[in-house]
Amino acid sequence: MNVMTTCALRKQKLVSQIITFIFIGIVGAPISGVLQKTYAADTEAASAATPLNTLSPLLDDLYTVLSISFVAILFGIACAFYLQEWLPQTNWVRRFIESVVAILGGVPSIFYGILAIGIFFTDAGTLKTVGIVRGPQDIGDGSALGPLSFQYDTPVFYIVVLTFILMVTPMTIKTTQAALRSVATPIREATYALGASHWQVLRRQVIPIALTRILATGCRAMSSALATVALIFGIYIWQYTNGPREMSNRFILFLSGALFLSIFSSVLIKLCASASADPTHPTR
Amino acid sequence: MQTENVPSILSVRNLSIWYGDKQVLRDLSFEVKQGQVTAFIGPTNSGKSTLVRCINRLNDFTPNFRSTGDILFRGVAMGTASDATALRKQIGMVFRKPIPFRGSIYENVAYGAQISGVNASTHLDTIVEKNLRKTGLWSEVENILGETPEQLSIGQQQLLCIARALAVEPEILIFDEPCGELDPIETVKIETLVRELTKDYTLIFATNKRRQAARVSDVAGFLYCGELIEFGATEKIFTNPQDNRTEQYVTGRLG
Ligand SMILES: Nc1ncnc2c1ncn2[C@@H]1O[C@H](COP(=O)(O)OP(=O)(O)OP(=O)(O)O)[C@@H](O)[C@H]1O
Ligand SMILES: [Mg+2]
Repeated sequence: MNVMTTCALRKQKLVSQIITFIFIGIVGAPISGVLQKTYAADTEAASAATPLNTLSPLLDDLYTVLSISFVAILFGIACAFYLQEWLPQTNWVRRFIESVVAILGGVPSIFYGILAIGIFFTDAGTLKTVGIVRGPQDIGDGSALGPLSFQYDTPVFYIVVLTFILMVTPMTIKTTQAALRSVATPIREATYALGASHWQVLRRQVIPIALTRILATGCRAMSSALATVALIFGIYIWQYTNGPREMSNRFILFLSGALFLSIFSSVLIKLCASASADPTHPTR
Repeated sequence: MQTENVPSILSVRNLSIWYGDKQVLRDLSFEVKQGQVTAFIGPTNSGKSTLVRCINRLNDFTPNFRSTGDILFRGVAMGTASDATALRKQIGMVFRKPIPFRGSIYENVAYGAQISGVNASTHLDTIVEKNLRKTGLWSEVENILGETPEQLSIGQQQLLCIARALAVEPEILIFDEPCGELDPIETVKIETLVRELTKDYTLIFATNKRRQAARVSDVAGFLYCGELIEFGATEKIFTNPQDNRTEQYVTGRLG
C-alpha cells in the first residue's frame, strides 16, 4: 500500500518534470527566434549590398560544433567505460588518465574559449582565413563581408577540434565514470552470480542504470561546448562592431542552444535522481 | 541421513584466503556431498561469506584477494584457468539482501533462463511458472507477473531471487544468510523451501544463527576466526561436538 503510493508519486513527479521541460522548449524556441529575426532585420538594413544568407551557414556552423563535440563526447564515454569497467583500479594507465582528467576537468571552460579566440582571430581585427573563412564576397578589408563558416581541412580546424576534445572529453570521462560507479557492487555481483558474462552485466544492469546520467553528462558537455563558441562570437561582436552582423545570430543561436541543453541535462539529472531513489529497494 | 555413501560434488583442499596482508581463511579442507545441505556457522567476521563466495568465484572481482589451495567441482579444480561464467551457471548464489533486478517479476525469473541460453518465449513461460511454483511464490504473483518486484515484501523478493537462481538450472545453490533481513514467518518459509530443494539440488548455507543451521542442514562446519574448527554431521556437531570451542559456540557461550 505504502509502496504503491510512493510509486504513484514518483510517476506524478516525472510527468510534471517532462511538462516543465516541454514548456521551456515551447517558450524558449520562439524567443530565440524573435531575437534572431531582429538581428537579421537589423543586418539587412545596415548592409543591403550584402545579401544575407544567414540561416544555412549558421546552421552549418551549429552542426559542425555539435558534431565535433558529439565525437569528443562519444570518445569520452568510451574512455570512461574502458577505464572504469575494464582496467583495475591499480592500473597505472588508469591512474594516469584519471589524474590528467582531474586536472583538465577542473579548468573552467572559459579558458578554452579564450584559447580558441587566440587561434581564431588575428590582431588586425580580421578573422584568420584558415580557421573561419568568409564567403565569395570576402575582399579582406571588412567592408563587404560574406557569410562566415568553418573551413574544414586546415590545421587550425584541427586545433579547434583539439581544443574541443581537451575541453569536452575530460568532463565527459569524469562524469561518466561517476555514473558507472553509481551502479552498486551487490547488483553487479548478483548478476555475475547467475553466470552472466561481463558484457551481459553491462547490458542488463550497468548501461540501463547509468544511461540517464550518461546522457545528462553528454548534454552538459555539449552545452558548455556551445557556450564556449558563443563566447567566441560574443567577444568578436564586442570587439569589432563593424564586423559581420550574422555573428550576432550565431551568438544568440549558440547561446540559446547551450541554455537549452544545460536545462535539458538538469532535467535528466533530476529524473535519474528520482529514479535511482533505488526502485528495487524501497526504504521502509 | 547417510553421509558415507553419498558421492561428493565439491572438494575443498587446503584453502587459505588473504585480503591484502590479512589472512581471512586458514587452511580449510572439507567435502560437500551431493543432495545435502551443508551449513557453515560461526560468529560475525569468521569468514563464512568469504568462503561461500569462493565457491562460485565471486571473489575474483575483489581487489587484493589472494588464495592458495584448491576447490574441486566434480573433481575438476576451478582455478583461474577455467571459465568462471560457466561455473557460476552451475553454482548459483542467493544473498543476504534480496536483489531484484530492473523490470517485471516475469523478466526477473526469465533472465535466469536467458543467461543459460533459453530464448523462445513459450519455453520462458513454462520455466518462469515452474520455478515460481518451486519457491511457492506462484500463487501470490500469478496475476502481477508484469509488474515490478518493488511491491513484493522482502521475503517475497527473496523467494523471487531464489526462483531466478533456480531458472539457471544450477547443481549447487549457495545461500549466504538468506534470512538475515527477514521476519520470523518469512524465515520459516525459506527454511522449509531449503529442505524441499534438497531433492534436486546440493545446498550450501552460511548463517550465524546456530538453531537455523541445526534445523536445515545435514552437515555443518563451525568456522571461527577463519579456521574450520569442526566439520561433520549436523547432529554430531550440535549434540556431541569434539572440540571445546564448538561446544561453547553451539551452547551459546562463545560468539
Ligand atoms: N573485500 C574485503 N576486503 C578486505 N577484507 C574483507 C573483505 N571482505 C571481508 N573482509 C574481512 O574478512 C573477514 C571475514 O569476513 P566475512 O564477511 O567472510 O565474515 P562473515 O563470517 O560472513 O561475517 P558475517 O556473519 O558478518 O556475514 C572479516 O574480518 C572482514 O573484515
Ligand atoms: Mg557474511
